[in-house]
Amino acid sequence: MNAILVDVTRCTGCEQCVDACIDRNHGDPLQAQLARATTKDGLSADRLLSIAEVASGRFARLTCMHCVDPSCVSACLVGSITKTPEGPVVYDPEKCIGCRYCMLACPFHVPRYEWDQPVPYMRKCDMCADRQAEGRPPACVEACPNDALLFGDRDRLLAQAHDRIDRGGGAYLPRVWGEHAFGGTSVLYVSDVDLGPLGWPGRATEPIPDLTEPLISKTPFIGTGVACALLAVNWVIRRRMRLAAEAAEADAATGEDAE
Amino acid sequence: MTDRTRGLKDLLWALALAGLVATVLRLWFGLGPTTNLSDAAPWGLWKILNMVAGVAISTSGFTMGFLVYVLRLERFRPLMKPAILVAFLGYGCSCGALLLDIGLPWRFWHPFFMWNPHSFLFEVFWCVTLYFTVTAIELAPSVFEKLKAERVTKALHKVAFWVVIVGISLSSLHHSSLGSLFLVTPQRLYPLWYTPLLPLLFILSAMGGGLMFLVLVRILHAHWYDREAVFGPTPLERELFLLGSVRGDGGSRRRQVGRDMPVLTDVARIATGILAAWLLLQIYHLAHPAVWSTFVAGTWETWLYAAELLITAVVPIALVWRPQFRRSPGALAVAACSASAGLLLNRMDVGIFGYFRSSGVVYFPSLVEWALSLGVIAAAALVFLYFVENMGVFAVSPAEGDGPRPFRVSFDSLSRVWHTALRSGLERTTLIAVLVVPLAGALMYPPYARRRTVDVRAASRLDVAGDSLRIDGDRTGLRTVFSHAGCQKRLGGDSSCVSCHHMSLPGDTTTPCSSCHRHMYTETSIFDHDYHIKAVADSLSLPGPFPSNGSCVYCHAEGEAKTEGNAKACVECHSEWRDEYANGTRDLARAPGYLEAMHGTCLECHQKEAAERNQPLLQQCSTCHRSLTPRGSPEAQLARRR
Repeated sequence: MNAILVDVTRCTGCEQCVDACIDRNHGDPLQAQLARATTKDGLSADRLLSIAEVASGRFARLTCMHCVDPSCVSACLVGSITKTPEGPVVYDPEKCIGCRYCMLACPFHVPRYEWDQPVPYMRKCDMCADRQAEGRPPACVEACPNDALLFGDRDRLLAQAHDRIDRGGGAYLPRVWGEHAFGGTSVLYVSDVDLGPLGWPGRATEPIPDLTEPLISKTPFIGTGVACALLAVNWVIRRRMRLAAEAAEADAATGEDAE
Repeated sequence: MTDRTRGLKDLLWALALAGLVATVLRLWFGLGPTTNLSDAAPWGLWKILNMVAGVAISTSGFTMGFLVYVLRLERFRPLMKPAILVAFLGYGCSCGALLLDIGLPWRFWHPFFMWNPHSFLFEVFWCVTLYFTVTAIELAPSVFEKLKAERVTKALHKVAFWVVIVGISLSSLHHSSLGSLFLVTPQRLYPLWYTPLLPLLFILSAMGGGLMFLVLVRILHAHWYDREAVFGPTPLERELFLLGSVRGDGGSRRRQVGRDMPVLTDVARIATGILAAWLLLQIYHLAHPAVWSTFVAGTWETWLYAAELLITAVVPIALVWRPQFRRSPGALAVAACSASAGLLLNRMDVGIFGYFRSSGVVYFPSLVEWALSLGVIAAAALVFLYFVENMGVFAVSPAEGDGPRPFRVSFDSLSRVWHTALRSGLERTTLIAVLVVPLAGALMYPPYARRRTVDVRAASRLDVAGDSLRIDGDRTGLRTVFSHAGCQKRLGGDSSCVSCHHMSLPGDTTTPCSSCHRHMYTETSIFDHDYHIKAVADSLSLPGPFPSNGSCVYCHAEGEAKTEGNAKACVECHSEWRDEYANGTRDLARAPGYLEAMHGTCLECHQKEAAERNQPLLQQCSTCHRSLTPRGSPEAQLARRR
């Protein structure tokens, strides 16, 4: 499973990765500039990657985290979002119906919607799955002039991240962002400043699908169980009512006989 | 009659027309320009008010079905048709608004063929569309009766019971699932509303609030169409009764309220009972320390939440509690109004207001959103009025009194049950269905049991770097990179597992070394005394009520204080370890420290190999403790390891 390791100490915030991303995803450069200026996190359907200043002189990129166990994949009712074994979380626009539940389900506020299109789709980073298939790294990694982005196998990048922290002699905070968050993400960060300003939602390590899937897997049993209980209750009541009616009939019959 | 509803109908037509204009605007210009939805607030009025709340308030269709068809409480029969109509129109409303809310409405049929059974929205979609069909079938007899298609009506009446059962099952699923929809937002929904109890809270409030809404509908209907049925005779009419100039029996002369009032009172009592359960559950949720601290923080959400509890449950319960209020149509209308509004507020809170703080955006619906939302509701209300006026929805009069239940709550002897069980046809079918339905559930299960995604989690759970383990016993951050695959290969493949994974867990790979080697430097006891007491008692089949009491002397000397010193040696019983630990230098009941265990496992072999192969590097510290000796840049190392 591939991943991207972001070394915040090496990022200078030049945004060459953002430009490469807009090029690759055919975003409208003008709309992208508008999104950079107007939205809180700089993300929009035309700008799937943005750079945020998390502390003075420290920059971190914001994009789809490609969770190991993604909430959006579990939430999409038509299964248009899938997690590939290679790492990217990819989206199939042919299936999408535009319900936007993925946008609600994502703990990182990542999926964007083409609000101004008459035929709108969801847009998000797909970690350049097509380039990966050709054996090339994602466009943003290739564009980075400062080696702030590393692309490779997630486990190896994790080892690499820990190595950097171990050898850094205090140059990094002892935490790899994305190692455990929501079951782990495929975008990892090492940093010398806290990435809280990036909007990292708490320190939850439980994958979000773990909140819903144990419940929804009981659906067939709840549905049929309720039906069974109703039928059983109704059977008892029906039988009792019939017996009562029969008894009343018999009473009436004996009464008539007596007369 | 038409005079009374004229103003109402004009208003509804105006709203419906505005909704039509809004629909055209939404389809022509798209979602962005016409709504205030944004990336920060992706779900708005149409989804929450029309779908989530609209479906919730139409629950009376299935709750009344339960009372009338399953419990056979004929007293409630007059409310059955109105309840079905409310359900049909409520679901129609939500389907209509939802169709315009989704970005690509022409693909609404996709979930029928493209499945993701792990999504709660998928379940809601299926249940809502199926239940909408169910309400349509339930409503159909009214239409066909009007058309005088007797054969169809007869056939529909025959299946009515089964349709109701299917409807209740579907309802119990999707009303809770509508709450589960929001379980995916633990980080975003304000903690006053986020709770794992959401599905239970949603179904309870929907059942209670839905019944109260039905009461409100009946009272409003009476207000416009047949005042007397609920409100009773007007003062003037009562005067005339007393004067004897209007025909009437002795009973109705004293009656202050209409004939339908007792039934409505009963429905309201059931509803407030359910709402009371909801309130208790809310209090339980509120009692959680984290939620309570949020509640007492006194933000505007606090007041919204408190208001929600107050008008959904407290006010209706208080009103229905007092006999003079629950028997008065006016007070009952207030209670019903309050509960219905509270239900809507609750859904708006969970779906809209609860997200303001985390998204940082205050969403207020645009004019087009309001127009479409209210327009759809107005259109439904017009259809309702049409049905009321032409299909005789409220025409059924209640069974007088209903009398005592035709059976007592008691238990028949099993033989009597057996002899009377299968005499009637429908009862037989019912019993067979009870046996067959679980099979259907079992057939439905496989897609749910299947793993939802590629299994990529195992690797990230363990502290694994590729095929290498990072061992860090004392958590200093100075890890030893241990190439598990490499060592395994050198030691002879799969058969070599037991050379490291040892003791009573040969080949066990899931128990971490640290579960026995608990201390970093000193040895610790791993003797499980409780287990041995029980195992000895079991193996000797000791008699008596407390067989374990006799097992002490099996290991300890009799008549002496029971200490570790005078206990039997382990190998006396565990003879299989006799050869392995024959020299007695190792105490089987004590595990060496983690450091010793690790070094013992690796180092002996490494030293031997170093001597045999004349590679002294193999036994150097830095061979394993690589982070002690930096070599090259991290990237170079990474490349080398690849």
